[in-house]
Amino acid sequence: MTKSNEYDALVIGGGIAGEEAALNLANIGYKILLVEKDLSIGGKMIHLSKVFPTLDCGACITTPKVSETARHPNISIFTNSVIEDIEKHYENDFSAKLVEKPRYVTEDCTGCQICEEKCPVVVEDQYQWDLVGRKAIYVPFSIANPRIAAIDIENCSLCGLCEKVCPAFAIDFSQEEKIHEVNFKTVIIATGFELFDPTLIPRYGYGRFKNVVTAMQMERQLVPTRPFNNVLRPKDGKMPDNIAYVLCTGSRDETVGTPICSQVCCMYSTKQAQLLMGALPMADVTIYYLHIRAFGKGFCEFYQQAQGMGVEFIKGKVGLIKEKENGNLLLRYEDIQEGIVKEAEHDLVVLSVGILPNTDFSTMFKNVKIEQDDFEYVNQVDELSSPAKTNINGVFVAGTSSGPMDIPDSILSAGAASAEAAGYLKGGKK
Amino acid sequence: MDNKKSAPKILVFSTEKISDPAIDLAGLLKKHYPPTVYTINVPCSSAIKTKWILRAFDKGFDGVFIAADGTDCSFSETCTLRTGELVKQTHLIMKEKGIDPAKLKMAAICSVCSDPFVKHMKNFISALSN
Amino acid sequence: MKNRIGVYICHCGSNISDYVDVEKVKEIAGKEDSVVLSKTTMFACSDSVQKEIIDDIKEQKLDAIVVASCSPKLHLFTFRNVAQRAGLNPYNYIQVNVREQCSWAHSDNPPKATEKAIKLVKAGIEKAKHSQPLTPISIPSNNAVLVVGAGIAGMRAAIELAEMGTEVFLIEREYFVGGRASQWNELFSTNETGREVVSRLYNKIIKTNNITLFTGADIDSKSGGVGNFDIKIKIKPRHIKPNCKLDLENFKKAVEACPVDFDDPFNFNLTKQKAIYKNYPSEFPEIPAIDFDHCTKCGKCVKICSEIDLDQKEEIINVNVGAILLTTGSSPYEPEISEFGYKEIDNVITLQQLKRLIELREGELIYQGKKIKNVAFIYCVGSRQVLGENKYCSRYCCTSAIHTAIMLKEKYKGINNFHFTRGVRTYGKQEILYNKSSKQGDIFLQSFADSPAEVYNEKGQTFVKIKDVLTTDKQLEVKADLVVLVTGMVPRENNSINNILKVPIGRDKFYNEIHPKLRPVETVIDGVLIAGSCQAPLNITESVKSSLSAAAKVNSLISKGEIELEPTLAQIDKLLCEWCDKCTSVCPYSAIEKKEVNGKVIAEVNEANCKGCGICLPVCPTNAIQLIGYTDVEIESMIDALID
Repeated sequence: MTKSNEYDALVIGGGIAGEEAALNLANIGYKILLVEKDLSIGGKMIHLSKVFPTLDCGACITTPKVSETARHPNISIFTNSVIEDIEKHYENDFSAKLVEKPRYVTEDCTGCQICEEKCPVVVEDQYQWDLVGRKAIYVPFSIANPRIAAIDIENCSLCGLCEKVCPAFAIDFSQEEKIHEVNFKTVIIATGFELFDPTLIPRYGYGRFKNVVTAMQMERQLVPTRPFNNVLRPKDGKMPDNIAYVLCTGSRDETVGTPICSQVCCMYSTKQAQLLMGALPMADVTIYYLHIRAFGKGFCEFYQQAQGMGVEFIKGKVGLIKEKENGNLLLRYEDIQEGIVKEAEHDLVVLSVGILPNTDFSTMFKNVKIEQDDFEYVNQVDELSSPAKTNINGVFVAGTSSGPMDIPDSILSAGAASAEAAGYLKGGKK
Repeated sequence: MDNKKSAPKILVFSTEKISDPAIDLAGLLKKHYPPTVYTINVPCSSAIKTKWILRAFDKGFDGVFIAADGTDCSFSETCTLRTGELVKQTHLIMKEKGIDPAKLKMAAICSVCSDPFVKHMKNFISALSN
Repeated sequence: MKNRIGVYICHCGSNISDYVDVEKVKEIAGKEDSVVLSKTTMFACSDSVQKEIIDDIKEQKLDAIVVASCSPKLHLFTFRNVAQRAGLNPYNYIQVNVREQCSWAHSDNPPKATEKAIKLVKAGIEKAKHSQPLTPISIPSNNAVLVVGAGIAGMRAAIELAEMGTEVFLIEREYFVGGRASQWNELFSTNETGREVVSRLYNKIIKTNNITLFTGADIDSKSGGVGNFDIKIKIKPRHIKPNCKLDLENFKKAVEACPVDFDDPFNFNLTKQKAIYKNYPSEFPEIPAIDFDHCTKCGKCVKICSEIDLDQKEEIINVNVGAILLTTGSSPYEPEISEFGYKEIDNVITLQQLKRLIELREGELIYQGKKIKNVAFIYCVGSRQVLGENKYCSRYCCTSAIHTAIMLKEKYKGINNFHFTRGVRTYGKQEILYNKSSKQGDIFLQSFADSPAEVYNEKGQTFVKIKDVLTTDKQLEVKADLVVLVTGMVPRENNSINNILKVPIGRDKFYNEIHPKLRPVETVIDGVLIAGSCQAPLNITESVKSSLSAAAKVNSLISKGEIELEPTLAQIDKLLCEWCDKCTSVCPYSAIEKKEVNGKVIAEVNEANCKGCGICLPVCPTNAIQLIGYTDVEIESMIDALID
């Protein structure tokens, strides 16, 4: 066991919550191990366009935190890595296996992307939510950190072209999985959330009707680094002029196993609607909703602002979506106010998909079991006065690992986790 | 120079912690004001020198607006008094030099006063245009 | 003068480049003298561009850089850090705000926005030319904090700070701790009572060594700044001797003996209290207090108990702390008289009163002598106002009302709940409660902002009427035995604190943070932080999250023993100074002293005290004072560039 494998805190997940928690602890002076399963830190937030209710660009808020985290002398980051077999020995004494997966590209990579030009394999780009393609060797996305290419070995044809053209000689097909034994004194779980898979509601036609997209796919069309530099409907590349949002797709719906509200969809849809009004000044935007949950600081005013801009809000539940030959969509919905079932035609439908727990954390522990709540999030054992506390003393939870929440709430929750972890660390040193 | 046709130019002295955030907020909320308004930041409105204001008029600014800290000032309770004093002194010198004192205005702009700021700018521009 | 300046114009995605022709700005900036490099970037703040800037500084031997992007309030430190990493003094970095104060402010006029951006950048280049390398000032900081308000948020932050090693002074204006939570019974979502949570935290505080709690205490004055605040705390006397062992029997007798009787604010005026009192059932510390605003000093209680001392005097104590955390909380909105029949129709009460009522009434729910069956909840009273000032949603009230309605049914027989909503906002897991109340038979009705529910009285019966959105705008009416106004949150009256600390207040009248995502618990006043519901309506869990978050920030700010401050200082030219005393008399920090140097009497700046406000600059008759970073040459060259 080398000394370099000793840390004060393990932070699992490099999204906004993990970064905030890591930075807080690192600024107090603790040594942090930050483990991210993805190729870049930044989580979901780094992929967002502008964020509600201030309409700051998401990148402008995330990227400074990302780079501050990346260069902090007290934080060691492992991307493309996972944590396994966390064992608690005593208070302030944990160990785990850190599995570093091969990238097949070394840190000498400069992110020049010449390899991408040569690579003959094209697959769907998961960082653009499959809207466009990418190569088998690729820099994950333009503002990724680290901005280093990786080879998607499952899709790679092993042709070796990248190796030939790389000016930095950074391609290394001989890389293998590395396992490090690491020790630490406290754990913060910040593994974040997953998005609801709308194919589970076949009535909405996602996957079958090309002009039915998810809100994340729309989000990517609204970011500055967007794939088409415009908002287009996938089926024919036409600019849409009558867009519908279907709220509560996979939230507040016991039939798909998610009875709870996802807390963010109302606001992100309202935000996208505002951005669409700017991007496509002629377009109509209609939001089908059950209740608009504009509860946070400045949210209510933001909702009113959208109404003032001309976004139409219809209180009604969409039951069925049908596709017309021209790719337009017919939405059958219950107009609650009028008490009748109606049909409306739109040329693009955005499903405001809800939040689900990322349950990766549940299998990371070996000699202790982490409790989950009724909805499979990390259970908060003292929700009122120690919201970051879990059933394992010394293991804390930050951000959406404990339930749906928006960015400001995630940041505060991460702050709380870091404070409780700091108190725990200090207590152990006494 | 064709000053008559182009919109009057205003130099705003803002303060880093109080009035400048309000001017930022105006932009954030896309509350438009004339684009011939330029801002220079100082820590506190009571730090503005008369010679800076005179320099601005001398170089061709049509108006100078002091977005003062008012009672929100975190430095000193005397901020409003001190800023008022320097405006008064400068008005006297402006009169001596034959510059209309109405070209120098001051108003307290709190850190969230984006609406008042925009209103002040619109009014000031239209007053200067006449 | 700097003569190898690098200029970067940021697209900010599209935030700037949609309105400002960044390429044109870049070209013109590149032609300015002393500029050796001019570039545009998609996101100047991204890591890859930061690296690029560092490489440029090293390769091109840049001696100053200018980034035209967003407001310096967001990224000044990001780019100063970039400069530093490249070996350049951070103060040779100048940020030009072409987003908030240009592209966004003038998005209606892109050509003019571009024109303005060019001038702003030219002014920035001028400032960069005259920029001086500076070193931040390091000041000692005391690892102690003043937490104002011992509600759940304040108590929780105090405990965590103490555990992290920071000494805590916790002050509470009331005689009893716990704030609003102490007034509530079962709480969402754990069903612990307010009293249980408060007692748990209070007992922990009492056992924790480095927390000193003062009740009946308020800030009297403040001097100094971050790292070193001197605070005077005013402590109201409790009029009970400090180590009082007043037993329950004697206390009861004393209460009986007290001749005054007035509305009890703890029970929202539902009951009366005496001048000698304890909050019930949440009385921490467990020592009674005498309310001197109402006490007639008759001395009857003193005869029963010698522990009572009516001559106790107000005390002032001094503490020195490195930071101040405000957790002053919120109050329920107090409806106007006749707002939904409030104080006009006698069975109209607030949600907070109902919660107290439930606590006080075992077995049967009786109000004003009448057994309650039909309860009508009217939502959004004092929140989401159409005509009033409170445009915001108070966030906690939907869930709180539904939770209370569920409790009503569990506790009492024969209750029917009717909810007159503006759209239920049980966000997140709170949705489960909404489901539960619907399943147990509560009736939900809804109206929009333009047609609120109406409360009226006819022949001694109270009715609530609504045009119900959920049943095709039918006019529905419910006969209500009790009308409950679901009132929102407003900040507490904190006038004395506001006057002393000057924390910015937002449009909702709650305290304002610097940025909801970047710096959510910090204020523009260095060393003064905010948390909990003094900042925005929040429920208990959310308040605690924010207060713990603030605890982490406070600790990392002051625990290292020193804090770095901006080197913005006044400097006095020895040759020009003719000692007139004007600068010393205006300086709020006594930072200018009279000195004799080589036989000449002059003014000299004490760098440890100077805060860099510049108030001394205009009063000097010989223009002998310059403020670092805002010297005549910097300001005047900027003015020249802006007019050009």
